[in-house]
Amino acid sequence: MAKNTLRKTFLEPLGKNNPVFVQILGICSTLAVTNKLQNTLVMTLGVMFTTALSSFTLSLLRNHIPSRIRMMVETMIIATFVIIVDIVLKAFYPEMWKQLGPYVGLIITNCIIMGRVEAFALQNKPMLSLVDGLASGLGYTYVLLAIAFVRELLGTGSLWGFRILGSWWTNWSIMIMPPGGFFVLAILIWVIRETIMKEAKA
Amino acid sequence: MNAQPTFYRERIYPLLFMFIVTFLCILLTAGIYLLTQDRASANELSFTRRAILQAGGVSFENTTAGIELAFNEKIVVEDGYYTTQGPEGTRYIIPLQGPGLWGTIAIMVGLEEDMKTFSGLAIVSQNETPGLGARIEESWFTGQFQGKTAPFVMVEEGTASAQNEVDAITGATRTSEYFLNLTNRAADDAQSIIRGE
Repeated sequence: MAKNTLRKTFLEPLGKNNPVFVQILGICSTLAVTNKLQNTLVMTLGVMFTTALSSFTLSLLRNHIPSRIRMMVETMIIATFVIIVDIVLKAFYPEMWKQLGPYVGLIITNCIIMGRVEAFALQNKPMLSLVDGLASGLGYTYVLLAIAFVRELLGTGSLWGFRILGSWWTNWSIMIMPPGGFFVLAILIWVIRETIMKEAKA
Repeated sequence: MNAQPTFYRERIYPLLFMFIVTFLCILLTAGIYLLTQDRASANELSFTRRAILQAGGVSFENTTAGIELAFNEKIVVEDGYYTTQGPEGTRYIIPLQGPGLWGTIAIMVGLEEDMKTFSGLAIVSQNETPGLGARIEESWFTGQFQGKTAPFVMVEEGTASAQNEVDAITGATRTSEYFLNLTNRAADDAQSIIRGE
């Protein structure tokens, strides 16, 4: 029984309850950071770290938080973890920190984090909340990496900063601009919902 | 009788709880900040020095130690600017800043002894749109100023050919314009900085 719950908690955010293509959360950052694989990976790792630890911490505190100020407490704790990510990146990965610029701070506003806290961590035990947070972060990560793969390849002809397509390739500048994010995300959501999710339902 | 516990639970407890959470969070972040402060400021110094070396056209090994070594050996720190010895005499390296699309763009400009020809250019800090305006950091963009003389003219990306033409960035016209203004006033600003005005 317990093992089943754990399995379900872990697998749901990866598939039929994915934060990006099912819950349509965290779209702002999905559109903003996915024009380069490298930036996307660091950003999503930051989100995964923050979702997991803030879900865990808030689940620990869940029986003590006065419900009328719970959102303040949630924001405070999420912000703390994000600032830690920012400080650590600045000290140990300065090049990456410089490239990501304002986006690290914007992890705070990612609705997935607060969404998982409100919807899951406040009703469940700490370890289970940690798993849910991690899995949600992971579900977010792989979708964003898929989008970034398409956008970087079509937009700059390279992957991970290395040139893949030859000089014959004309960069689709629109792909690395915000509209490109909308196009790729929308197509991805459509394809997944029409194929994989329809089959699962039938 | 009942009033007091309610008052505590409704007013005092939330206040106290928030206070304690805030205190702990600040303690944690302040602690980590202080632990990494030295590293962070060393990184920042290294970034600035690398920009100075790039602007001066000095070759260096791209590590913290390599940057420090090259900086100490080749760069002379003057009042408000830097100099180095290039093949054609003294090169002046001037810090400049001006408005960009979203925030201030700070750059280092290296000028040959004639105070007109660019020996190099490097970005110190900028807040332009990632993937678009932020491409001013890419080496193909900064590198194209080398050996050219202001005033520059921006042309469509990939079409620069004449001595004073530079490629603009597609999708970042405004950033390109701001950057052009900044580089075009470099020679004048250099004169006044070196004269100490």
